[in-house]
Amino acid sequence: MKHQILFLSKTIFQNHYNKVTPLSRFLSTQEAIERRSHLFTLEKKRQAENVGRIEKIEVKYKGVPNDCTLVMNKGISTPYDCARHLSEWHVDTSALALLDGTVYWDMHRPLTENCTLELQNFTVAEPQQVNKAFWRTCSLLLGACATVAFKDTVPVQLHSFPGPDIRSGSFIYDIDLPTLPDWKPTNQELYTLSAEFVKLVRQNLILERLEVGEELALEMFRDNEHKTKQIPSIARNNGKVTLYRAGHHVDISKGPMISNTAQVGRVTVTSVHKLIGSQDSDVKQLYRFQGVALPTNVVLNHFAYSILTERAKKLNPARSPISFATDKEDFEPESIAAKV
Amino acid sequence: MNQAEVSKLVSKLRIKVPAEPRKLRSPKGPEGRIDKLRKTVTGLIKYERIELNHNRGDEARQYAERLISEAIRYGDCHKPTMDVANYWLLEKELIHKLFKVLVPRFENCNTAYTRMLNAPRPLPSRVDDKVVLELRGNPYPSLVNRQSNNRLLIQNVLLDAAKYDYRQSKYAEMAEKIGQREEAQALEKKSKEPTKESSNESKTPEI
Amino acid sequence: MALAIRRTSDILCAARWLIRRDCRVLSTLPEKAEISQEVVVRRPAGRRPIANEAVLESRHIYPEFLPDPNPDWRNSLREKLERADMLKRRSQIDIPEFYVGSILAVTISDPHAQTKTTRFVGICIERKGCGLRAEFTLRNVVDHQGVEVRYDLYDPTIQKIQVLRLEKRLDEKLLYLRDALPEYSTFPFDMDPEILPEGTPVPINPVQVKLKPRPWLEKWERQELKGVSNIEEHLKGKDRIRRELRKTPWEKYDLMKQYRKTIPIEDQSEIWAEVHNQLQQLQLSRKKMARKRTFTAPKPQLG
Repeated sequence: MKHQILFLSKTIFQNHYNKVTPLSRFLSTQEAIERRSHLFTLEKKRQAENVGRIEKIEVKYKGVPNDCTLVMNKGISTPYDCARHLSEWHVDTSALALLDGTVYWDMHRPLTENCTLELQNFTVAEPQQVNKAFWRTCSLLLGACATVAFKDTVPVQLHSFPGPDIRSGSFIYDIDLPTLPDWKPTNQELYTLSAEFVKLVRQNLILERLEVGEELALEMFRDNEHKTKQIPSIARNNGKVTLYRAGHHVDISKGPMISNTAQVGRVTVTSVHKLIGSQDSDVKQLYRFQGVALPTNVVLNHFAYSILTERAKKLNPARSPISFATDKEDFEPESIAAKV
Repeated sequence: MNQAEVSKLVSKLRIKVPAEPRKLRSPKGPEGRIDKLRKTVTGLIKYERIELNHNRGDEARQYAERLISEAIRYGDCHKPTMDVANYWLLEKELIHKLFKVLVPRFENCNTAYTRMLNAPRPLPSRVDDKVVLELRGNPYPSLVNRQSNNRLLIQNVLLDAAKYDYRQSKYAEMAEKIGQREEAQALEKKSKEPTKESSNESKTPEI
Repeated sequence: MALAIRRTSDILCAARWLIRRDCRVLSTLPEKAEISQEVVVRRPAGRRPIANEAVLESRHIYPEFLPDPNPDWRNSLREKLERADMLKRRSQIDIPEFYVGSILAVTISDPHAQTKTTRFVGICIERKGCGLRAEFTLRNVVDHQGVEVRYDLYDPTIQKIQVLRLEKRLDEKLLYLRDALPEYSTFPFDMDPEILPEGTPVPINPVQVKLKPRPWLEKWERQELKGVSNIEEHLKGKDRIRRELRKTPWEKYDLMKQYRKTIPIEDQSEIWAEVHNQLQQLQLSRKKMARKRTFTAPKPQLG
């Protein structure tokens, strides 16, 4: 609650500040974020109303403490609700749901049919998918904290982030900062980014998922030229774009994501590298924000963690979205398969 | 400074033994204490895993360890050991279990014969600490969930990748060094070869 | 010529060997060659007690080499240093094997005595303490007066400890001799040492003493003594009732109580591996000396 009040007061203060300073842009970053979030809320409400008559489905839960069958609402109940029927521990630790032993499902995505359900936390025997979801979520949150971290005079255009590759040692977000052509962050600035990340994580935000049509997505990301260019290619398959929201920040990702930002424990934003675009790409340069994070309750020696942060400072070798002009047409965020 | 008693030989216990025995409250005094412990030890040998208060569990654990170690040391043909087993095991069929089942199980054991784990408390309340006391090698599923060795955990993946990276950089360094050395050798050879030729030339006229 | 040289060298060698042999008896330091021969007995990786029973038997002869069993008072370094000091002292004077119930003669230096030494003969009624603080108590009746002298085993003023009669009694401690008739603790000061043939086990004297009528120094009736014959004669009904009430039959099954009083095999075998060889060597040299004495004794009579 305190967090929320703080956050609210901060946003109000920022709004006030926005009104005072004259801006040349159509929308300030903050306003754009809130508008997007508002649209997200409206669309979510609309989709919930569309469910219509409530039907029941049987969810067979497998795992500790014992296997059981839950009767849930079709299209409304999520694995998160199932976990709430079980125990607080399940709610807090579950990061992903595994349906029918094959499909990885977000914790906050409504269930649509009868299925078996397994809840996956970070310590299951085969945590690859959970790790990927964690890495992906960290990328998304990195974008969120980068948008709020800069002063309002610096426009921040999120570009995209590639698929999660944990072995590369860092999660990435490629961000366009058009007014900063040659920026090298000082250590203090990196600390500030990390602190912003921690602040975001400490708000215990749930990660909501929503599938929207192409037009609505374009409307939501009207102020972001990179995203507007990417949306048609993402929506080419089925006309849908998957959106995730953490707090007020809305971003495009295929998912799945973890359940709550409280599951992100130790986190450091380690470095920002400049990516130079190739000749025929229309984006001249991007900044690659890199960070490293661990789930909560992972106890790691500070020395081992320092090794991880040192490694995460090196430029992540993931493919740059702007250097391969030939691939640019069919570039999609997360199209690069992680090789874990 | 007391002299150690030498009339009896005992095997060393693999658990930590406090200097003083614990008092267990009982109206019958020290005898009641031993009676309580007899019940607990019997239960432990019978069920192989029991949950109880920490103080009693810790005391009973020492006695159970001693009983098993005596049984292993002297076997079932030793009268005093048999008497001790008869005294400690209230259900007499457990004497057979001790000598026929537990002794073979623990004969080549290098660790303690029992395991004591802290049991969860329902709330931060003023109830006594609970423990789970179990014999090793019992048929129940394991209580400890030690997964830090799982190489797929995210921290292990990250550390392994960092290690791999470090190794690769070291290999590259070594390869570079070797390359430099070889180049230097090749240069030396080149500088030497002409002299050899000249010496050969100087020899040929003599032949 | 060559032969002669070899001869002389042989003789030299033999002489050197002899000298070495003789020196060893006197010298406190063991020879270097023998140190290398000492094999430290290591327990195998699996922690099963491989008890070398013969080595462990020395716990009866040298109980003071075992440390105090209370873990709060253990200190491995201090124990090690004390053991080294004890061995040094043992190489200086002959501290023989004796038990509670043996009759000893102890000679200590005494600056106030005419001969600068005092000799006391008595029965050992108690052995206590460990390490350098080991002690034993001798009891005798001198001029109808019971006398007890407590000696520190490693006291540097002790000049000689002689075992006059090597035997054990039925009990661990003979403190009840204080309340027994004086004849049971009266021993003549000019007692001759009795020599046991080698290899015989230490005999146990089954004598049962008679107690004087009460009052006693301790409640002997509650101690389950085997070496007292007439304890029932002096008891009243209430004593018997109280004895029944105070009995602790469970204590012999109290496995941890036993454990807390003893040093476990694993710890013992480490200690004996450290000192056993040296103790054995001291014992051998002592035997050699004793044999020499027996040979040399008759000579003056012949002359």
